Amino acid sequence: MRILKLIYLNLTFYFFFLIFSLVAIPGLGAFVILCALILPRRKVLKRLRRAIVWYGTVIVRILPFPLVRVKYKDYARNQGKGPFIFVSNHRSSSDPFLMACPCYSYEAIQVVNIWPFRIPIVGVLAKIAGYLSVRQMPFDDFKALTTKLLKEGVSIVVFPEGTRSRDNAVGQFHGAIFRVALETKKPIVPICLAGNENIPPIGSAFLHPGVIKIHQLKALLWEEYGELSPFKLKNYVRQIIVDEVADMERCA
Amino acid sequence: MAEQDIIRMVNEVFRDSFEIPEDKLVPEANIFNELGLDSLDIVDLVVALQKKFGVTIRDDERVRTIRTLGDIHSFIQLIKTEGKK
Repeated sequence: MRILKLIYLNLTFYFFFLIFSLVAIPGLGAFVILCALILPRRKVLKRLRRAIVWYGTVIVRILPFPLVRVKYKDYARNQGKGPFIFVSNHRSSSDPFLMACPCYSYEAIQVVNIWPFRIPIVGVLAKIAGYLSVRQMPFDDFKALTTKLLKEGVSIVVFPEGTRSRDNAVGQFHGAIFRVALETKKPIVPICLAGNENIPPIGSAFLHPGVIKIHQLKALLWEEYGELSPFKLKNYVRQIIVDEVADMERCA
Repeated sequence: MAEQDIIRMVNEVFRDSFEIPEDKLVPEANIFNELGLDSLDIVDLVVALQKKFGVTIRDDERVRTIRTLGDIHSFIQLIKTEGKK
């Protein structure tokens, strides 16, 4: 019975994923081209980034429902209009799509690995939208680009572990974005993910039924963290995420 | 410089620059996976070590092979010995 449920989940999800992507991605491409003809570049980028978030929302919240449910809790309401630096733990290849939940109301880009840029059309759109691959650039370039984006009001989503956790433990954080936070004085919002480790598991595209929990925690303001060194700050934020994820898993 | 002095001074750098507690500062501790340093922290570490020991290690290729705290102890010992020659 369980196997049948699994097969059903995967067949329906990937069928609708394919159909939706075949319509949405070229549609998104056409939309961008059309906008570029009549709107200034800044407005085109804003619309493209919002459209990518909507695409992600459909992929994670609608297509796999009801076998995969997303429970999103926002403990950070009414904290201003941003921009924010969203910092999340990383367990699955679905995580960049899950970021559509915390970013729903914001214009945001993600700092991702190299592989998303290799996906046909999506990779090109991500590049146009300003998604960054931290591994492909020196820190000074990364700092200059992220600082410029934050000044323009664009929030930034980062997975500072750099790679997916293989044992669900939160790995060590890379400090690049925390150095940017200290210089730009922007609020840092910890995002905690749990329950998504098998949706899909590492090395597989096979989804398993389950409940994905996303907790968006209270933003850390520069007034609270500005005195910390980059090393202390990254470990401080990491510990907040570690503690919350442990609580989320205890309650599961 | 005695080996014990080098260990004490390197550990002081880790305590002062990164606020890493003494109990974590064992020679076999991996500076990346266990102590949590990243490539940018290594730059800060090199600067702090240079200041502490009065040596120049920034352009030394051997820095790239360092993985554990014990590797740093041995490396500083080596640098100091080479400096005497």
